[in-house]
Amino acid sequence: MQTHDNHTGQQHDVHIVSYKEHASTFIGLVLLTIMTVTVSVFGAEIYTLSVLTALTIASTKAVVVALYFMHLKYDPKIYRFMMGVVLLLFVIFAVLTLVDYLARN
Amino acid sequence: METTFVLPNSGHKRDDVSSKMGMWLFLFTEVLLFGGLFLVYMIYRFMYHADFMTASHELNVLIGTINTIVLLTSSMTVAMSITAMQKGDVRLSRRLILLTIVAALIFLVNKYFEWSAKFEHGLFPGMEHYNTLPNGERLFFFLYFFMTGLHALHVIVGGAFLLFVVRAINKNKVRQDRYMLLENAGLYWHLVDLIWIYLFPLFYLIH
Repeated sequence: MQTHDNHTGQQHDVHIVSYKEHASTFIGLVLLTIMTVTVSVFGAEIYTLSVLTALTIASTKAVVVALYFMHLKYDPKIYRFMMGVVLLLFVIFAVLTLVDYLARN
Repeated sequence: METTFVLPNSGHKRDDVSSKMGMWLFLFTEVLLFGGLFLVYMIYRFMYHADFMTASHELNVLIGTINTIVLLTSSMTVAMSITAMQKGDVRLSRRLILLTIVAALIFLVNKYFEWSAKFEHGLFPGMEHYNTLPNGERLFFFLYFFMTGLHALHVIVGGAFLLFVVRAINKNKVRQDRYMLLENAGLYWHLVDLIWIYLFPLFYLIH
């Protein structure tokens, strides 16, 4: 569907994500969920490894949801850029909090 | 493409690009809201590592996993409902949204049973058994109830938002050439899913 031109602020060049693509995204997410549960229940005993694995899998899932379900992959780049800025902001908060925590001990 | 300059508010009654951007800006505030809570969680987990592990064993991994799958399914159905709307299949789109709302209800029912079990064990902040727990375990359960509670509130709001969209579809206010409301409701719903994606391993799957 291509409607109207860009200057009016209307939607243009809409990419329609197919049902099949959504279904495969879903299957991928379920597999990652099974993976993270398995790793946790039968997995590594080392504390940091387990946290890192869990967070890596969770972040992979988050990226998949954002790119495919939330259409970030096909939408104008500005949304991805804004998301990046917010994540950077959060990382700065996290690092500063960590530094504060470590400096107190 | 035309090169004539058109002023904003020049008689056009809608602005899809800004509408979506507004939704994203709101979602960013939500990310930072939960982000702050995750930082609290991170620090206390460092400080009370052993207590967090003990307390986490009280949580039901099975219900957590089922709820994760339920939310992922609902995310797919709402994404598909946008596809259906873009293709002009309004009936299918509405059905998929209703399916999403059903998934939201299933999630909340599971949550109800899960929380009831915790209440029976006296683990809610302020209860007798809770007060006898060591510091770290108390913090764990406090954060558990606060964060999953706030998340459940978002599930309720998301469900209401989707119901509002169904009403708009019935009134033909959301249709093939005008579905930004549906898309924004979808974005909100996906955010609810995103937050759960982090809540689940951090609370249920601590090893």
